[in-house]
Amino acid sequence: MDLTVCIGSSCHLKNSRAIIAGLEQLIQERQLTDRVTLRGSFCMEKCGCDGVSVKWNDTIYSLKPDELTAFVENEVLPRL
Amino acid sequence: MHDRIYIDANYKSLNKFGEELCGDRVQYVPLEDRFIMVLSDGLGSGVKANILSTLTSKIMMTMMEGGASIEDTVDTVVHTLPVCSVRKLAYSTFAILQIYYETGECYLAEFDCPGCIFIRDGKLVPIQYTQREIAHKQIREARFHLQIGDVLTLLSDGVIFAGVGALLNFGWDWDNVSAFLAERAEPDMTSARLTSLLSDSCNDLYAGQPGDDTTVATVKIIPQKIVNLYSGPPENKEDDARLVTDFMSMEGLRIVCGGSSANLVARELHEQVVTCMDYLDPEVPPIAKIPGIDLVTEGVLTLKKTVDMMREYLAAPTDSRVLQSLDIPHGAAMIAKMILEDCTHLNLFIGKKINPAHQNPNLPVDLSIKLRILDDLAELAKQAGKVVTRHFY
Repeated sequence: MDLTVCIGSSCHLKNSRAIIAGLEQLIQERQLTDRVTLRGSFCMEKCGCDGVSVKWNDTIYSLKPDELTAFVENEVLPRL
Repeated sequence: MHDRIYIDANYKSLNKFGEELCGDRVQYVPLEDRFIMVLSDGLGSGVKANILSTLTSKIMMTMMEGGASIEDTVDTVVHTLPVCSVRKLAYSTFAILQIYYETGECYLAEFDCPGCIFIRDGKLVPIQYTQREIAHKQIREARFHLQIGDVLTLLSDGVIFAGVGALLNFGWDWDNVSAFLAERAEPDMTSARLTSLLSDSCNDLYAGQPGDDTTVATVKIIPQKIVNLYSGPPENKEDDARLVTDFMSMEGLRIVCGGSSANLVARELHEQVVTCMDYLDPEVPPIAKIPGIDLVTEGVLTLKKTVDMMREYLAAPTDSRVLQSLDIPHGAAMIAKMILEDCTHLNLFIGKKINPAHQNPNLPVDLSIKLRILDDLAELAKQAGKVVTRHFY
């Protein structure tokens, strides 16, 4: 399944690069590489949010780097 | 059909070591119907040489521009130059190059300077000169036809003497310089890159301390190349389809800048945007792909960097570091390279809608400045000699 991170202008400034690196690491650690595909996308039109837009299962989350572990535990794993 | 040719020209002078002024002078101007370049090397070095070569090139340029004959032009120069008090001579070498866009017809006149290097299809072409006397000076002249891809390089004698008495007993010598250039000139190299290649080699042979003013001026014959760049959603959503239709109907390369713009184009073309996730420069967001579009990038941050890079290029177009920066495969450099090196005509398609996505006061950078950045980009492209047209939506 696709896990899509926004890399548009706004999210770039909110450090989407760190989000991608963090998610990449978590996916590897939990051995999810053959079940979750990390992708990039341009603007998801949620630029007003505080965090970087990340789409999972048709829901858009707004994430900061320190929220990634909780996000994977609570959102990604249960809905895989 | 014979299409008109375009001219890509650049030059670089290395000053004699320790001199603040260069005694060589290059001037060129693209006129309506033709292109003229003059290279002049004044007697001696420093201030005196600088004045002689500046006078010579300026007089020649102005008279040729006004349509004066070569006889009158040379005669005027000979009778105008101040006489050097040491050498009792008024002297400055020159080479004049005149190229007509419609016919590709070229006129070359040289006085006492190293011959022009003419390269076609990677091979050196000997120039057939005729000699005649004008105002007691022996002038070499040649007329020939140019075609797309041809390279003409004018030199001052500092080039052919590079390394003399140090690395090379008798200097680099015209045969070796021209063979070097013919061998190393790749088909995709611009005049700036060719100039940089030869000038840097001279500098190396002089071990960074040129024994004479050393000038390389290169002209490359190129075809018309069109680049179309689209950025920003239209003010009215109803114009989306019209904009994409207009944009896609253009000849040439296509660039789309901006996430919303890329999504809009993909939607209208019934295609998908596939983003890459490689960060080659942490400052520049990754690029993306849409079938049928040559380059897709993020918008305002990328364009800002592109504008910075273009400004840097225009300040020093033959600097090898600047040229190398254009080869980095991130979005901003790719746009800058396309506009600077692969373009005679730039069409900008600009959507004027203020992007609601960018109205977030918590962001560290002001994103609402895209229209101004696109103004800067248009201005810089004009400075680089491109014909720029803008379409607003």
